[in-house]
Amino acid sequence: MSGTYSNEPMLDMFIFETSQLIEQLEQIILASEKETGFNSHAINDIFRIMHTIKGSSAMMMFNDISTVSHAIEDIFYFLREENPENIDCSKLSDLVLEAVDYIKDEVDKIKAGEDTSNNPSELIETLKEFLANLKSENKSISLEIKEQPKEKPQYYISPDKTASNNYKHTYKAVIYFDEGCEMENIRAYTIIHNIKDITSDYHFFPMDIIDNDESCEVIRKEGFQIYFKTDKSYEEMHEFFMQTIFLRDLELTELEDDEYKKIAETKETEVEEIKVLSSEPIKVPKLDDEEKIVIDKSRQTAISSQSFISVSVTKLDQLMDLVGEMVVAEAMVIQNPDLQGLELDNFQKAARQLNKITNEIQDVVMSIRMVALSATFLKMHRIVRDMSRKLNKEVELEIIGEDTEVDKNIIEHISDPLMHLVRNAIDHGIEPRKERLAKAKEAKGTVTLEAKNAGNDVLVMVKDDGRGLDKSKIYKKAKEKGLVFKNEDEMTDREIFNLILVPGFSTKANVSEFSGRGVGMDVVARNIESVGGSIIVDSQLDKGTIITMKIPLTLAIIDGMIIKVGKSSYTIPTISIKESFRPKQEDIITDPDGREMIMVRGQCYPILRLHNFYKIHTDVTSFTDGIFIMVEEDEKSLCIFVDELLGQQQVVVKALPNYIQKYRKIKGLAGCTLLGDGSISLILDVGELIKL
Amino acid sequence: MEEMIDNTQVLEEDTQKGRFLTFSLDKESYGIEIKYVTEIIGLQEITEVPELPDYIKGIINLRGKIIPVMDIRLRFKKSEKEYNDRTCVIVLEVQDISIGIIVDTVSEVLTIPEEDIVEPPQMNTNYKNRYIKNIGKVASEVKLLIDCEKLLTEDEMEELNESL
Amino acid sequence: MKRILIVDDAAFMRLAIRKALEKNNFEVVGEAANGLEAVKKYIELKPDAVTLDITMEEMTGIDALRVILRSDPNAKVIMISAMGQEAMVREALINGAKSFIVKPFKDEQVIKVLNQVLEM
Repeated sequence: MSGTYSNEPMLDMFIFETSQLIEQLEQIILASEKETGFNSHAINDIFRIMHTIKGSSAMMMFNDISTVSHAIEDIFYFLREENPENIDCSKLSDLVLEAVDYIKDEVDKIKAGEDTSNNPSELIETLKEFLANLKSENKSISLEIKEQPKEKPQYYISPDKTASNNYKHTYKAVIYFDEGCEMENIRAYTIIHNIKDITSDYHFFPMDIIDNDESCEVIRKEGFQIYFKTDKSYEEMHEFFMQTIFLRDLELTELEDDEYKKIAETKETEVEEIKVLSSEPIKVPKLDDEEKIVIDKSRQTAISSQSFISVSVTKLDQLMDLVGEMVVAEAMVIQNPDLQGLELDNFQKAARQLNKITNEIQDVVMSIRMVALSATFLKMHRIVRDMSRKLNKEVELEIIGEDTEVDKNIIEHISDPLMHLVRNAIDHGIEPRKERLAKAKEAKGTVTLEAKNAGNDVLVMVKDDGRGLDKSKIYKKAKEKGLVFKNEDEMTDREIFNLILVPGFSTKANVSEFSGRGVGMDVVARNIESVGGSIIVDSQLDKGTIITMKIPLTLAIIDGMIIKVGKSSYTIPTISIKESFRPKQEDIITDPDGREMIMVRGQCYPILRLHNFYKIHTDVTSFTDGIFIMVEEDEKSLCIFVDELLGQQQVVVKALPNYIQKYRKIKGLAGCTLLGDGSISLILDVGELIKL
Repeated sequence: MEEMIDNTQVLEEDTQKGRFLTFSLDKESYGIEIKYVTEIIGLQEITEVPELPDYIKGIINLRGKIIPVMDIRLRFKKSEKEYNDRTCVIVLEVQDISIGIIVDTVSEVLTIPEEDIVEPPQMNTNYKNRYIKNIGKVASEVKLLIDCEKLLTEDEMEELNESL
Repeated sequence: MKRILIVDDAAFMRLAIRKALEKNNFEVVGEAANGLEAVKKYIELKPDAVTLDITMEEMTGIDALRVILRSDPNAKVIMISAMGQEAMVREALINGAKSFIVKPFKDEQVIKVLNQVLEM
């Protein structure tokens, strides 16, 4: 679980939301690339996403992220407002993706609690340059006006100078705003906007409070000065100004009429340009129209916006743990030894009801944790894009069954392996264009990602229509490396293909930029195995390769058979148990190497004495005293010899303590669980035991 | 967002500074920094886990949380002693690892001023002293102050040496 | 306790404002993630004040402001804006927003504006 980073909900929320937005952004860019251009929808969305990230990251003081997103926001603001015609879309895509990568990287670092010291100044420069070029290539009239050199701050003369003399009082007000309240010019504008109700005779400085950002600086330093005439008393005016939000200081003084005139005149001569601030009429669309829009839109969004909430994964994990404890507690009550032999009809009825409810709760909690694979699949678009560009191969990504759901924990574990498999497929699988044409294949290669449910498992497949695996090459290589002992003709195709999953095997001598990176298929296999899954490799020469990951739907609660060996208790997942039986001595066979086997219905199965395997002391060493449990996985079977069966129950799978996991991976153990009496039982990993 | 800086933890660590939980093994007395200690419990039923070194006795159920337990006598290569009703488990939390340390019995919590804490003699680099960070002087006695982080992390090296 | 409606398309921002408000004895009666939802929630909840983000999907903050004020001319709406949105803030003020806050903001700024606007 990635719950190791800060518990601070703000930070978690920031990381969560930013990651989501970034993913969205990436998808928009990739989709736009396919359409060869950004439509207005995409531009709007990108603008909004960058705007949001800019705001959030600034709040969290991740200033680098904020600046990068600001730079992109600026570009898309320009695109949105000016609708320029000459856009280098492919370069823009590259730039935005670069920024996406940067932000992703930073967020990962934040998540890991590392320093976010990667300096983005180069990227920002490039972005700014891009915008500047864009602007110069798409000069429009409106822009030229905007870009005129700004005049120095000026005084503003109210439009109605004639009506002034009738007012009784003359005042000067200087207003200082709180430090850091930002947009002081607009705040000053608010005052002027309101003062219009009181007087029509006013002057203020600095004057250009609308379009000139430099006015902010002036207001910060010198305050915002207003000279005005009115009938209102000093107290009334004082109260008026005191309502100003973020007011730090107010200097309100009454002036002599002459003084005011003088100021008004001198200022007037300084003024080079008079801007008329018309109180524009508020444009309110006709009521009917707007309400119609409201209703229409509400139909579309009511469901999507209101019926979802986001919950932190930690809380879900807690809930899951609690449900687990509840299941155990329920077993403790219902199977309580105190009840043994009692006739309790009503109790049994109530117990069944309770059992039904707990099962339902469990199902619901599980389903909450289920997440569709679509997000994970969609991420692969980016990888396909980058790889096909760099390797100069035409590749199409096809996605099937992305709605398939798996446990959130599992998604985290398959994301990296999937990425690796897709890379492998493009790098090693799909042939270069020429080679494909020579083989009479379509020039464009296809990589297919497919997910589907299969009982308690989910199958995730990565398929390519590339050159396929060469059996004999693989065998030769494995033989050279000493990874195989059988003869080639003794092995099934699948067995040979599976050799590529063995540590120390790597089919390509030249490690390319993408598939290389020191991670091989064995790492992929190990990742999948760590969540109780497995990998199957299928291939046909020149037709392509299919790699199937078989992953359990969930890890959290399983049905288990509790068994005893010596003083220890172990749990075997019921799903892999075929049967349990007491053997007859004459069915046991020992081969010349001392390996023990048992005949069951004419079939011969290997035996694993658990007490020997884990060096557990027990008095039950003779087969006739104990019991066999036949387990099966991937069409292979094994008979495990144990002292006795203790019973069957649902158990909550818990990981072994960190300390032990760090120490070593214990062969054949999947985790541990708490039994009803509070004792601990170790859960066996049947797949691993069979492979031994 | 000033609230994000959590002062309480800093404060807490301050009040815990220089305080040690001590216990005896044979003739020597050891100390563990109190900041690592989360609780002291009586001995519980231990579930053995295969393939672990002898000093890791197994795992226990600490109110629903499963933690490993280490016998400090075996860790320090002393003779094993049967557990009795005085045997205690000191639960430590070091970085993100929780672990129980089985000791004969705990003695007391002591404050040892900084000036009374010295480095262990360098010449004596034998096995036992590997996990001793400092030596604390309390009256005429000497407390061997355990380096908890080393105690929990220095396995691989040991493994390696053993296999050579 | 004054009842506030928070409108922002970013969950992070909503959380940031919610935390600031709840620490200072305001009641957050609702959250909305777009202008349309904001209008609906305003009419449904009749909060004492609204913090309203400008850049949003579906219906921008400015449009939402107009509709809210038409349903309740005394509505106390505070715009949440970002740097560079001066023009839109001005439009909001002309349309009847009581004040505005600029991101990134400090908790005390939010509280101060709210207190002042609520006294109006």
